[in-house]
Amino acid sequence: MTETAKRSLRAGLRWTSLRLRLVVVFALVALVAAVSASGIAYWLNREAVLTRTQDTALDDFRRQMQETAAALPTRPTKDDLQRAAGKMASSSPGYSVLLVAERERGKPIVGYSDLDTFTRAHVPDSLQEQVARKQPLTSSNEHEYHLFWQRTSIAGTPYLVAGTRIIGGGPTGYMLKSLDQERQDLNSLAWSLGIATALALVGSALLAQAAATTVLRPVQRLGDAARKLGEGKLDTRLVVSGTDELADLSRTFNRTASSLEKKVADMSAREEASRRFVADMSHELRTPLTAITAVAEVLEDEADTLDPMIAPAVHLVVSETRRLNDLVENLMEVTRFDAGTARLVLDDVDVADQVTACIDARAWLDAVHLDAERGMMARLDPRRLDVILANLIGNALKHGGSPVGVRVRTEGEELVIEVRDHGPGIPEDVLPHVFDRFYKASASRPRSEGSGLGLSIAMENAHIHGGDITAANSPDGGAVFTLRLPRDAERIVRNDEPGAGAPDEDGAT
Amino acid sequence: MALVPFLLLIEDDDAIRTALELSLSRQGHRVATAATGEDGLELLREQRPDLVVLDVMLPGIDGFEVCRRIRRTDQLPIILLTARSDDIDVVVGLESGADDYVVKPVQGRVLDARIRAVLRRGERESTDSATFGNVVIDRSAMTVTKDGEDLQLTPTELRLLLELSRRPGQALSRQQLLRLVWEHDYLGDSRLVDACVQRLRAKVEDVPSSPTLIRTVRGVGYRLDSPQ
Repeated sequence: MTETAKRSLRAGLRWTSLRLRLVVVFALVALVAAVSASGIAYWLNREAVLTRTQDTALDDFRRQMQETAAALPTRPTKDDLQRAAGKMASSSPGYSVLLVAERERGKPIVGYSDLDTFTRAHVPDSLQEQVARKQPLTSSNEHEYHLFWQRTSIAGTPYLVAGTRIIGGGPTGYMLKSLDQERQDLNSLAWSLGIATALALVGSALLAQAAATTVLRPVQRLGDAARKLGEGKLDTRLVVSGTDELADLSRTFNRTASSLEKKVADMSAREEASRRFVADMSHELRTPLTAITAVAEVLEDEADTLDPMIAPAVHLVVSETRRLNDLVENLMEVTRFDAGTARLVLDDVDVADQVTACIDARAWLDAVHLDAERGMMARLDPRRLDVILANLIGNALKHGGSPVGVRVRTEGEELVIEVRDHGPGIPEDVLPHVFDRFYKASASRPRSEGSGLGLSIAMENAHIHGGDITAANSPDGGAVFTLRLPRDAERIVRNDEPGAGAPDEDGAT
Repeated sequence: MALVPFLLLIEDDDAIRTALELSLSRQGHRVATAATGEDGLELLREQRPDLVVLDVMLPGIDGFEVCRRIRRTDQLPIILLTARSDDIDVVVGLESGADDYVVKPVQGRVLDARIRAVLRRGERESTDSATFGNVVIDRSAMTVTKDGEDLQLTPTELRLLLELSRRPGQALSRQQLLRLVWEHDYLGDSRLVDACVQRLRAKVEDVPSSPTLIRTVRGVGYRLDSPQ
């Protein structure tokens, strides 16, 4: 997986999780609110419905008892009871009645309104006891017997069971009222409340999503802008709308970005100014140097005929002029690299020929052992290769002494040139700095060791080809500089500036 | 050509002009100098020098413009004095018709060697002639005719054509041509060859953009073909 894909996935997860958190919190709040509201509503409703049904039934039962049961003879027959029960049950709200009386002591007789649904077995014992118990008469209690009721469940159906006894030896009456209808009503209420709760949950989730989007979109914009800023697009700004915290954040971001942009612009302007100064100065130096160089040569030609006191002075002027020339030329080369105006002038060359010519031109043939086969062709800038080689070999000769070994080979599409000396090698602490400008291995080294730009320029020349130079110490002593260049630098040039580097594209062969 | 080469040096900086005049005179040249391009062009018309040494940075009309104006009428060799930092200078200079260039700060000996090399290009070497399609190279008269008409070639263009015509059908690398024509060492600037080939094609080929005589050999250099 690529790095960007990973990052976007991670960003996606992060967004999702924030979104998720918002949704979860919203849903929880909605759930708690909906459940408690529904719960309370259900409970209140349930109580109201049950109480009303119950009160109606009980009132009716009490009235029936007073009217019907109390009107029974003192010692009723079973038929009397049966009739009375039937009459009571058929009167109104639809309950079953059970009348119990004692015709003789210890011989209870029972009258049923509906034998299938209501027998004495259906009446809980605790209720029977309660009903049968004679209450002591007090000031607050005027009656011996009261009406008692209980909710019970028979075969899964809820029922209201109530019972009372007629004062003065009358029969005991029980009623059984089915609460099934109420249960069904309450169940459908519960269903409705449940559905409402679910709808509230869904609604809250949608709301949370919307809220998350309104919060996250600016956050994402902010993130995008910050990333662009990091990529160096310092003119990135956010559109600020509104007065909320996110707008504040956007304003802060914009302020930060503009101050950063200003600072970077200041810095690069300063750097640009100092670079231009160096470039201008080396240009300016060149005009007098051109005149001095031309005249110095005239003087040099005449040196032999001059006064022996003056001749050394002339030679000194000439040699120092050359050094100054080299230094200015190196400075200009460096400023060209810094300004990015350095260009490759590519040509197809035989590498071995180029290396030989470079060594020959500097009269190093005796000091350098060259291991290179002819016929290795490469497309590169011959002048820049010469600069690199001259610097590497010159450096090796200066610090390592002769013989210097130069080995040329190809590795795939790369040209590899090794320059190996037999000196003491490079101290480990100096190794990382050998290509630094004006870095010298020893501070006490006399200044005549070169401009201090040579290896840095060599490195820049390798880089402009798309190559590299590495420095290392050989295990058998001595320093090894390894130059790697692509065998065809054309591609680099094409990538850098389309249209350049190919002066004649006439398509002919 | 006079035995002592007569040069025109156009350079605006007094010190450089004086120093180069001194140096070139000591190398055995006769030197006329001008401080501006306008003066230089006038001197050129009056004194007919053998060669012009031309600074690129001039007040008024610059070196490139001077070069272009000279080329409108004359084919005499022109050497540019330039700064290598301005790579674009070299390209523009060669396109405006210069034969060679030297980089400041220039050593008098190097400039002298270049001047002599350029002047040698016009010298006659053999007495035969060769025909390539409708182009006839007369090596004894040092002239090139196309369809019977004389072509106005600079000595460098002529020498390049001669070197190519000496090895017809054989590809010569830019570095080889630099040694043969420009007498440069191994570090010659291959853009000299490319620019000169372009100019030569413009004069010799029927359709310079699709050359049939001077062909490019990819990865090697150039070759002179006789059209089939």
